[in-house]
Amino acid sequence: MALTRGIVPFCFKVIKVVPITLQTHNIHRWVAPTLMELKRREKKLGGKKTNPRNTFAEWNLEAELYAFGKRLNEEFNYDTLLQAFTDRSYVVQEEMKQKEMAIDINLKDNKELAEQGEQFIKEYVQVYLETVLPKFPVDGVTSITKNLTNEETLSHISLHLGTKDIILAAEYPVDNYILANTFKAIVGALLQSSGKERTAHFVRDFVITQLQGQDVNEYWPIDDPWSMLTEILRKDGVTIEPRLIGDVGKNTLLACYRVGLYINKKMISSGFGETAATAKEMAAREALKKVFGTEDHMKPINFQLEGIPKPNENNIYQISAS
Amino acid sequence: MSNSNLFLKSGFLRAPLQNGVGRFVPQLQRIVFKFCKTHGASRGMRDFIEQDLLDFAKQNPNIVVYMKPRRHRSPVIVAEYLNGDRFWMSMHNKTHDEITKWVEVMRTQQGDIAATRLRKLQYTDHPSIQGPWTPFTFKDPELNVASLPDSKYGANDRLPMSATEKLRLMFEQQKLNESDIKTAE
Repeated sequence: MALTRGIVPFCFKVIKVVPITLQTHNIHRWVAPTLMELKRREKKLGGKKTNPRNTFAEWNLEAELYAFGKRLNEEFNYDTLLQAFTDRSYVVQEEMKQKEMAIDINLKDNKELAEQGEQFIKEYVQVYLETVLPKFPVDGVTSITKNLTNEETLSHISLHLGTKDIILAAEYPVDNYILANTFKAIVGALLQSSGKERTAHFVRDFVITQLQGQDVNEYWPIDDPWSMLTEILRKDGVTIEPRLIGDVGKNTLLACYRVGLYINKKMISSGFGETAATAKEMAAREALKKVFGTEDHMKPINFQLEGIPKPNENNIYQISAS
Repeated sequence: MSNSNLFLKSGFLRAPLQNGVGRFVPQLQRIVFKFCKTHGASRGMRDFIEQDLLDFAKQNPNIVVYMKPRRHRSPVIVAEYLNGDRFWMSMHNKTHDEITKWVEVMRTQQGDIAATRLRKLQYTDHPSIQGPWTPFTFKDPELNVASLPDSKYGANDRLPMSATEKLRLMFEQQKLNESDIKTAE
């Protein structure tokens, strides 16, 4: 009893000393509603306004263009590069202004440069991919080229090269079409100042490298892989035989079938699916990848080919048993 | 990641635009030094500008350097990156050395990375190299030639050890120990 009497006041002392931790309000209660009200008023006036970077006091177009060339390690002609950055909308806007002020200064837009650049990019990417993926059909290569040279990819490249702020356009921020167009025009400008080979390397380093870490088969959707495979193999005089080599959980929701494709009693590929037909289609896809040399374990695409490769005419299909 | 970081922009560790696969593009595109010509808080910044700025600009022709003197206002550095990030930093009362180090950080980072909450410390486009799992993935080749039903494959080997089995093992162990004990004879 004496012991407990000794402990009880001690316990009370401990409880008194330990502070009760409460989360303190560092931010005043009026801050959130005020910010919300400000946001609401801003929205009412038409959203947040972003001022064009080139209207800032700290802006020097000449220095920007110089640094742009240095950044990409290319020698540009200043006037051509400036023309490449001039969008049609800007020229129209300036002409209107000049009419009001009764002066006349000629401005050139980047339409011609963009056309030249676009043509060069398309031709070069096509030839390069045909060389790097020698067994891949021409249709497939064209489909990859289309994907690499579409507005979305080119605008992404253009944005990450820092063209967004330098572009002379009537609107800001500029849309994807103008970004992509400017990139094409830059390629056109480089074509004029540095020649074909250097431009080819530029396109290789910025456009073709977008394939890095990608599965090239995904750029080319094949509707009916089975008939495509049989067609290709018929040209070589080979017949292919699908066999059901495994099934699990028949007549259940989780059924799984496995089909192997055989040539001369040797398996070339296998696929699985929830029905035998799907499994066969997947096996055909695997076989096609083997034919095209674009298996999952293919060697990475070579991004370091020098010069402009020569276009090759004939595609060869080969198939081998594994 | 703690709750207080939930409102940060999230992302993975990625090189912008496959940088370095083709050629390397330095990511800092322009840097603005804002300072006061007389105020003491800009002392370090003025030293940096007098001693290091010209060399910095010469060594990095890919960066556009702007200077903006503002009377009696705190010194600031704003770095702008190719991915559109804008990195604002106050240099109030910072020494020449500190400013040199911060400028080096701004020059070498690829964007405003401190403003990103990393979802993971690694990233891959191909999380699996063996493809999706199927019931056939790790199938024992022995099963290909087995005739089923077979007691070998049908045996339930997942039950916990029974008490009888445990006793039997203890008995075996005891017998082994007894044979080891040597007597005086």
